[in-house]
Amino acid sequence: MNVTSNARRLVRQILTGEVWPPLGDRHVYRTGPDGQAFALPGMGGMTLGVHCGDPATGYASDHLEPGASVRHCDPGANMALQFLTCVGNAVRIESGPAAGAVGHVIGQHAYVLVDFAAPVAEQVTTGDAVTVTAVGQGLALPGHPAIVVKNCDPGLLAAMPGGTRPDGRLEVHVAARIPAEAVGAGAGMVSEYANTDLMGAYAGLGGDLSLGLEGLRIGDIVAVAGADHRFGRGYRPGFLTIGVISTGQCMLFGHGPGPSSLMSGPEDAFALVDDPDANLAAWLHDETEPGQ
Amino acid sequence: MSAGPAGGLSAVAVNMLGVVEHPALGDTPYRVDADGHPYLPAGDGGLVLGVRLGDPVSAVAGDHVAPGACLVHTEPAARYALVSYACIGNPAEVRTGRAAGARGAVIGKRGEDGRVITGFRQEDLARMRPGDQVTVRACGQGWQHPDVPPGVVVMNAGPGLLAALPVAWPGGGPVTVGVRAILPSKLAGNGIGRPAAAWDLDLQLPAGPAADGLPPGTDRVLLGDLVAVTDLDVRHNMGYRKGWLTVGVVVHGTSPLPGHGPGITPILTGPAAALSAVTDVTGHRGLTETVLELQ
Repeated sequence: MNVTSNARRLVRQILTGEVWPPLGDRHVYRTGPDGQAFALPGMGGMTLGVHCGDPATGYASDHLEPGASVRHCDPGANMALQFLTCVGNAVRIESGPAAGAVGHVIGQHAYVLVDFAAPVAEQVTTGDAVTVTAVGQGLALPGHPAIVVKNCDPGLLAAMPGGTRPDGRLEVHVAARIPAEAVGAGAGMVSEYANTDLMGAYAGLGGDLSLGLEGLRIGDIVAVAGADHRFGRGYRPGFLTIGVISTGQCMLFGHGPGPSSLMSGPEDAFALVDDPDANLAAWLHDETEPGQ
Repeated sequence: MSAGPAGGLSAVAVNMLGVVEHPALGDTPYRVDADGHPYLPAGDGGLVLGVRLGDPVSAVAGDHVAPGACLVHTEPAARYALVSYACIGNPAEVRTGRAAGARGAVIGKRGEDGRVITGFRQEDLARMRPGDQVTVRACGQGWQHPDVPPGVVVMNAGPGLLAALPVAWPGGGPVTVGVRAILPSKLAGNGIGRPAAAWDLDLQLPAGPAADGLPPGTDRVLLGDLVAVTDLDVRHNMGYRKGWLTVGVVVHGTSPLPGHGPGITPILTGPAAALSAVTDVTGHRGLTETVLELQ
C-alpha cells in the first residue's frame, strides 16, 4: 500500500505461546439456529485442510479456526499475546517435528490463529511451542488521521494494494462488502481481541438466515458497513471497518465467519475498490518462505 | 401469581438464593468510550438508588445502570442457574440485613457472568447493602404460557407477566404487542450470538444527528419499556433471521462503551406472521412499578 506510516517507530517484541487444545465439556452438544444439536470440531488445536484463499464456509465445523490456535498458559501473558500479535506477524514453530517452520498470523479469535503451509501443518499438534514476532500495534497513518489502524503488521500494510489517493482518501481493495445487519457475536468487545462473527453465512441452512455471505473465503479483506472499531466494536452510521476473514463456518446461532479488525474510520476517509484478489493468500504464505 | 397447567405441563417454581452484588473494577478506573475518551463507569451492577422504572435510559451519567439491586452468586455455576431460571415478575424477598423481609420482584437480567436485576421500594433499597441475601422464587422459564399460540416463544417471563403488559392475541391473529419503538436488527449490540435465557441484548441507540432516520420512539425509550427488534430470532441464541420479531423489556440504561447501550431482556420471539408490534411513541406503558407492585 502506497501510504506514509510510522512503521519505523514500531517495536518488535518476541512473544511465546503454544498450540492450544480444543476445549469441550461433558454436555458435548451446542445448539444451531433451528434448535439442532451439534458437536462439531473447529476451535482450538491444529485445524487442517483450510488455508487462506479457501472457502470460509461449507464445512461440517463450528467456529472453524484455520491452522494453529495459539495461547499462552499464563493468563496475563496470554492477554499480552492476544492484544499485541498482529495479522501478518511471523510465527516460528519451536518444538515437535515441524520445529523451525514459519507461518503467519491471519487473525485473532480468543486464540492467535496461524496459517502454515499444508506439509508443515500436518506435523503440528497441540502443545507445540511457537514464537511470535509481534509488531504492528501503534501503527498509524499520519496522512489519514481519521483512520485508526489495528492488528496490522507493517509488512502486511506494505503488501496490500491501494494507498493514498490524490483526493486524500485511502484506497483499500476489498473482496466483499458486509452489511451492518451481519454483525453478530463480538459486538461490544475490544478490537484487539477475538473477531467479529458475521451472521448470514450459514451454508446449507435456510434462506431466511442468509445475508448472501456464503461466498466468503478465509483471508478475504472485507469492509463492514456501519462498524466503528476504533476504540472497541460498535455500530456507527457513516463509519466502516476493514477486516480480514480469519475464521470460518459456524453452526452456533448469531456466529459465523469473522473478520479481525485492521482499519476503521469514517466512510469518506476510504476509497474502496472491489477486488476478488484482495486476500491474504496473495501476499503471505509464499511456499519458498523460510522453514519450508 | 399462580401457574396453572398449559400445553400439558405445569410450571415449576424454585427458590434460589442471590446475593446483592458489589461493583468490581480492575486496577485502572477507566474504560474507553466510543470516541476514544476514558471514563469511569459508575453504576455498572451492584445496588443503585434513585434510578427507577419509567426513567429515560440516558437520565444518569452511568454505565449499564439498572433500576434496583443486581443479584449474583459466588459460585459461577449457581450464578448462571440463578440468571437462567429467574423470570421477569418473579417475587424476591430480602433474607438478611436491615431490609430483611422486604419484598420486590425481578425486573430483568444481564449477561456474560450474569446478574438478576431486582426492584424494591426505594426505602427498602436504601437499607440494603452488597452481600445481603435475597431469595428469588424463580418460575416460568421454558413454560408454555396460556393464551400464546405455539408459534410464539415466551422467555424470561414469569407467570402472569404477559397479562400485565400490552400484549394481546386478538381474534386468532398474530400476538400483538404495544412497544415504544420498533428497531432494526443492525442496532443489536452486545448479546447478539448469546443465549437470551441468560443474557440481555444491548441496543446501540445513536444520539444526536446519528439518530436521524431511525424509527419513531428511538429517542424516547424509558426503563421498563417494551421494544421490538425486527429480523431477530432469540430462541436458540440471539441472531439474524429475516422476517422474525423479538420483543424485550428495557432493563438497564445506556453505556458509553462502543457496541453497548440500553439492554432488553427478551420475552417474546416469533415469525412476523405470528408476532407483531405496534409503536406508541408517547402513550406506551411497559413494565412499571405498579405492575410489579413496588409502590
